[in-house]
Amino acid sequence: MTLNSDLRLKIAEMVKRSGEGHIPSSFSIVDIIDHLYAHVLRVRPKEPQWSERDYFILSKGHGCSALYVVLHKHGFLTDEDMLHYSTAAGRLGGHPDVTIVPGAEASTGSLGHGFPSAVGIALGLRIQARENRIFALLGDGECHEGTIWESANVASNLQLGNLCAIVDWNGSAAQLMPRDDLPAKWRAFGWETQVIDGHSAEELSAAFGSLTFSARGNPKVVIARNTKGKGVSFVEGHGKWHHRVPD
Amino acid sequence: MKTLRLEFADTMSEVGQCDPRLVVMVGDISHGILQGFAKACPGRYYNIGICEPTIVNMAAGLNKVGLVPVVHTIAPFITERAYEQIKLDFGYQHLSGNIVSVGGSFDYAQLGCSHHCYTDVSLLCHLKRATVTIPGSPVEFNTLFKKLYATDGIHYYRLPERPHGIEFAASDLVPGRGIRLREGSDLTIATIAPQLSNALAAAERLAASGLSAELLYFPMVKPFDQELLRASLGKTKRLLVVEELSAHDGLLNLCLRAAIGLPGFSVRHLALQDFLHGYGTHEELSERAGFSPQGIAKSAHDLCSSP
Repeated sequence: MTLNSDLRLKIAEMVKRSGEGHIPSSFSIVDIIDHLYAHVLRVRPKEPQWSERDYFILSKGHGCSALYVVLHKHGFLTDEDMLHYSTAAGRLGGHPDVTIVPGAEASTGSLGHGFPSAVGIALGLRIQARENRIFALLGDGECHEGTIWESANVASNLQLGNLCAIVDWNGSAAQLMPRDDLPAKWRAFGWETQVIDGHSAEELSAAFGSLTFSARGNPKVVIARNTKGKGVSFVEGHGKWHHRVPD
Repeated sequence: MKTLRLEFADTMSEVGQCDPRLVVMVGDISHGILQGFAKACPGRYYNIGICEPTIVNMAAGLNKVGLVPVVHTIAPFITERAYEQIKLDFGYQHLSGNIVSVGGSFDYAQLGCSHHCYTDVSLLCHLKRATVTIPGSPVEFNTLFKKLYATDGIHYYRLPERPHGIEFAASDLVPGRGIRLREGSDLTIATIAPQLSNALAAAERLAASGLSAELLYFPMVKPFDQELLRASLGKTKRLLVVEELSAHDGLLNLCLRAAIGLPGFSVRHLALQDFLHGYGTHEELSERAGFSPQGIAKSAHDLCSSP
């Protein structure tokens, strides 16, 4: 059975109501984001700027419908926020804006920006001897951007052991560039690498439960074998549903 | 006169020892001269390597957790290449930091156009929260950096390779204020470092030939000292702008915006129209671009002799 059917339904409703959104990309990552907020991240929904919090950065910002439904579920966002998604009356849009969305840690959308920010945050927290942890969720298509590999190189060489990347490996990148051995690439950059099924509660729990964080050490990457559009048969895969709105 | 780059290194040591939030990241330049900072401020100096967009992006991340970043490398790479990072990761997200470049305009005159940068000032000026400082002497950088670096905003400092050689007192240097170096009545010459020395020499030539030039110098162009420009242009009615920046934007644009509403005045512009191909010293490329004292004086004569 597909996890988080309720969240997927909310994503579809938001997108249909507003006429804007990336449903398949959001369905691909919603299980990961919900797992993080439910079981991994140290956050306070009523105090989003809590100084001891863990940071979650959605580097593939176009999947933000998934982030919004999870932030709503966990108390960061209100029913009113969700109703006004992608309208002039609201504060949630087709890419997250950190200046107005409680719980969003970066304004992403242009790919290849969120992850380098996460590397900077990780370094900054280490400089201050703070123990917050940093998680950044990237798309596999986003891994075509040069800044991803610049940052992967820097984070590894700086031994940012407080940083975890998660890659949504749903095959988007391989449509264009079939040489797509992401685990080998991340290992070559010196990252502790795990490959899991990103739609399996058990594998998500095992992967994130196994991570150990430290001020100095190899950064970690969880590469999630995902299905774009997961949970709705005619949306799954790559094609016309990428940025399509349901009738 | 001490170079701007050495002053940058000394200022980092000075400020870094007082402010534990200051973190310096470089793109594999100035590594040797920053060892003083690195030793004085352990854990706060990073030579990140040749990856300018990532350096800027990381700096935004540092500021997000309360630190005050300084990023430093060659102008075209830290501004033009990394402009989207400056725009989105600092501008859009309301984060603050400091960008210190060297090699603006054609300072790297022997290295060719790949190392020239004519549009950095313009690019930064498009961002509402940016300040743009073009210090032409060590005291200008030291004074203005200390006043700006920890304030809200994206602070860009463009360090010329050669200081202009004119001494200012720290008290002369106020953010957003220009300096009138010479009073005159026939025309206003507005300039930025390091062409101040050529403009000053041109003004002396003009005086010898009977033209009285008022010389305005702008250590900062954003915010721009509109009052100084308007007062001068209201008097002289003629404006000659001398800038080592793209002719399509820059100091001229700022002057014209400041002059909106003033009654009829004439303008001449000495700036960079296109890539400055070829090699040589900074002086040689300056002359080719028309920035020599003779070139500036010729433009001033043209301006004053036109109806």
